[in-house]
Amino acid sequence: MNVFRGIKPLILCTLLSVSASATTLAGSFAFVTNQNSSDVSVLDLDQRVEIRRIPVPGKPAGIVVAPSLSAFYTVSPDSKTVRKFDLATCQLITEAQLDGGPTGIALDPKSGQVFVSDWYNARIFVLNADDLSLSRNLQTGSAPAGLVVDPDGHWLASADRDANQVSLFDLKDLTLIQRINVGVRPFGIAVDPSGRIHAANVGSNSVSIITPKTASVIATVPVGERPYGIGFADGKAFTTDQYADTISVFRLTDFELETTIDVGEYPEGISSADDGKLIVSTNWFSNTVSLIDPVKVEVIGEIETGDGPRAFGRFILETPPGERPCSKTE
Amino acid sequence: MLMRLFAAIAVFLVPLLLVPTTSEAHGPTRQKVTLTTSVPAAPADVWAVIGNFQDMSWHPAVFSSTGEGGNAIDATRVLTLGEASGPTISEVLYKFSDEKMSYSYRITDVKVEVLPVTNYSSHLTVKPGKDGGSLIEWRGAFYRGYPNNDPPENLNDEAAIAAVSGVYKAGLDALNERFSGN
Repeated sequence: MNVFRGIKPLILCTLLSVSASATTLAGSFAFVTNQNSSDVSVLDLDQRVEIRRIPVPGKPAGIVVAPSLSAFYTVSPDSKTVRKFDLATCQLITEAQLDGGPTGIALDPKSGQVFVSDWYNARIFVLNADDLSLSRNLQTGSAPAGLVVDPDGHWLASADRDANQVSLFDLKDLTLIQRINVGVRPFGIAVDPSGRIHAANVGSNSVSIITPKTASVIATVPVGERPYGIGFADGKAFTTDQYADTISVFRLTDFELETTIDVGEYPEGISSADDGKLIVSTNWFSNTVSLIDPVKVEVIGEIETGDGPRAFGRFILETPPGERPCSKTE
Repeated sequence: MLMRLFAAIAVFLVPLLLVPTTSEAHGPTRQKVTLTTSVPAAPADVWAVIGNFQDMSWHPAVFSSTGEGGNAIDATRVLTLGEASGPTISEVLYKFSDEKMSYSYRITDVKVEVLPVTNYSSHLTVKPGKDGGSLIEWRGAFYRGYPNNDPPENLNDEAAIAAVSGVYKAGLDALNERFSGN
């Protein structure tokens, strides 16, 4: 499912403490940025319960969970702050103040670089994942929002909302490979299990699907109103349709729309979890996450969060059996 | 009532600012407002008054409403506020259910001097309340009026929340008076 899977047991075993109630089941956790209440809800997706509420000032939206670094990172656009937290303790490690409008975030664990989009200044900040020091900027189109890094380490892509394009960069030297025209106002962006880029166009109610190798759009799939995020499981893509309060489901084989599911109000961040057996989506207005069975394509549960859950980015942590985040005290 | 609302709106009347607007640009943090009121009338009776997208005469700030498409999805309306020559708000319907007694709409055009918000969407819903009464719920989601960084005070997040809350409160207060028979 991801690049961390192979190395995860080795690293996490040393960094996360083993809980007393350890079971033989692997764990799955969601780190949900609550923008309106300025905190992060840590959710145990198996127990369906919130296990921790972490204060994160400045209206956080962007998040990236980095198990190989035993860290997670948040972006608060109101205070223009990027923060790094320890996964084992859920304590703040360090923070950095940026200019402009920091919004989306992605991480390349191999090079140890964090990328943060600047909504107001058409650029991506490149930060050191260790101490969050700024090393350089990359130029994008207007209003870059979502960012995604290739799990195989070849490219970085940004959804440049007001330029109606995706910028594709070579991760090797961070040079621009191509600007790719997509639908109207792409905001969320994700990579599917076959390595294709999906950009959700909030202005044209569609998803543009890009093959990075040729830097070209191979399909455009119409979905529900105001698609925001995209997740993948069971050979399907799931988009959160913000104004329709639905999730649209389309097949990754022929890109045909299969169905829509009703969820909470203003669904936003979405991701697969539990090794692809679950889809988790946040409902910004309802203050919940919806848990969806990707095979049956139905809602099977709900967990409450803080106020205004966004989870804009890679917000799921999968752990080996018995290991839990936030369980270690300092 | 009318005076009170206009006092609320007047606070946000600002000189024309050089706000660079691409029409869909917005600030960094979406805001939400939910206001409710309980009234001693059956949900069906309340819905009969407020459940028509083309008739907002129940709101004291609305002078008139013209529109097309009835209560069908993508129906439009233009609300004129206060007086015949008053400011206008253009809106489009994107959800409507008689069964759920709820409709959802968004603003397609309003000057930030009238309502300091962008990307505004809203739901108006009637739910069963206590003792056969109704709970009327009005919810909005929107960004502040100033789409760029470091907004002036009259176009910041707080100003947007205050303005939308003022509009909802005036409408719900009027419904409360109407159904309480006072």
